Amino acid sequence: MDIRDLKKQADLSYDISVAKSNALEKALSRQQFAYEGHLFMANAETICLVKTLKELQQSPLYILDVNQNPVEIKDPDEFLDMLVKRNQETLNNYNNLYKELQKKI
Amino acid sequence: MTQGVLLFCFDTPEVKYHRVLERCVELIKKNLKLEITVITNIETFKRMKPMGMINYKLITNETNNKLLGKPWYQTERYMAYDLSPYDTTLLLDIDYFCYTDNLLELLKTDQDFLIHDKAYDIVLGKEGLRFERDSMIPILWATVIVFKKTNYCKSIFDMVKYVKQYWPYFCELYKLGFKNFRNDYAFSIAINHVNGYRMPTFLPGRLPTLTRSAEVLSFTDNGLIYRYQNKIGQLENQDVHVLNKELVNV
Repeated sequence: MDIRDLKKQADLSYDISVAKSNALEKALSRQQFAYEGHLFMANAETICLVKTLKELQQSPLYILDVNQNPVEIKDPDEFLDMLVKRNQETLNNYNNLYKELQKKI
Repeated sequence: MTQGVLLFCFDTPEVKYHRVLERCVELIKKNLKLEITVITNIETFKRMKPMGMINYKLITNETNNKLLGKPWYQTERYMAYDLSPYDTTLLLDIDYFCYTDNLLELLKTDQDFLIHDKAYDIVLGKEGLRFERDSMIPILWATVIVFKKTNYCKSIFDMVKYVKQYWPYFCELYKLGFKNFRNDYAFSIAINHVNGYRMPTFLPGRLPTLTRSAEVLSFTDNGLIYRYQNKIGQLENQDVHVLNKELVNV
């Protein structure tokens, strides 16, 4: 490879990296989610926490929202279901964008 | 409980902001489906095309503020609390384009006041746009604000008015590098004061921003195409705050 090809490869890698970051950001912004008047992120951390607490103790559960306010979750099953649905919706879209980016490499 | 979007729009001699407003309103109607109230002046109002069912409130705005040496009329934002007809208000900059319904989630919260503390630079693909410089407090983004009609929120907007009134003093006090009035700074100061110098509640996520160095080439049904240096980028189904005012010509 001569230096022009290397430069092209570097540009392509940069463009794909930025596009990937933007696709992830888009997914994360979609994970913002309101429940019982509080805001949460429907991310792996929240899902794991709710699932673990649900398995270890009976409802209600108490967790923190994005602003560190305590929230009583009266129906953990419903909450977990909503979290998983929102999380998978966003990651499915991210996955589709990611596959398209991979084709460009 | 009523909910709605509040927008401020004033044309300047150099930028026809009403054209940005028209695009912004179209997207709010399409994706948020919320009632809209526009605060404007009579001159700008006369230039707007008919946009359907919208509430207008006409005021006389100040015309002595500047950005990068050009007229920049945005000093009336402190009036949002009094002018909003809604119990819960989504206060948006008109250059924030809602290509999704993501903002609707924010209206379902019990929090009185929410504002972004972080921005995401779409051009560079990372968090950025920190304008603190020597500022003694973190600078917030007044582009998207959710507020309710409560005493706490009223005190924030009253404090913004006070900060505006004594802007040079507060600039000096907090070591702000920006000498012209800017809502981002005024709200940062006001919230800092009203909140007892403690961190307030923030919007989750980061404000997605297309920086001034990126030029919007065209708008599509669900996004926009931009150029940054020699690169072309496209945004689809993603909210975006566009800083380059040349978009009025697209």
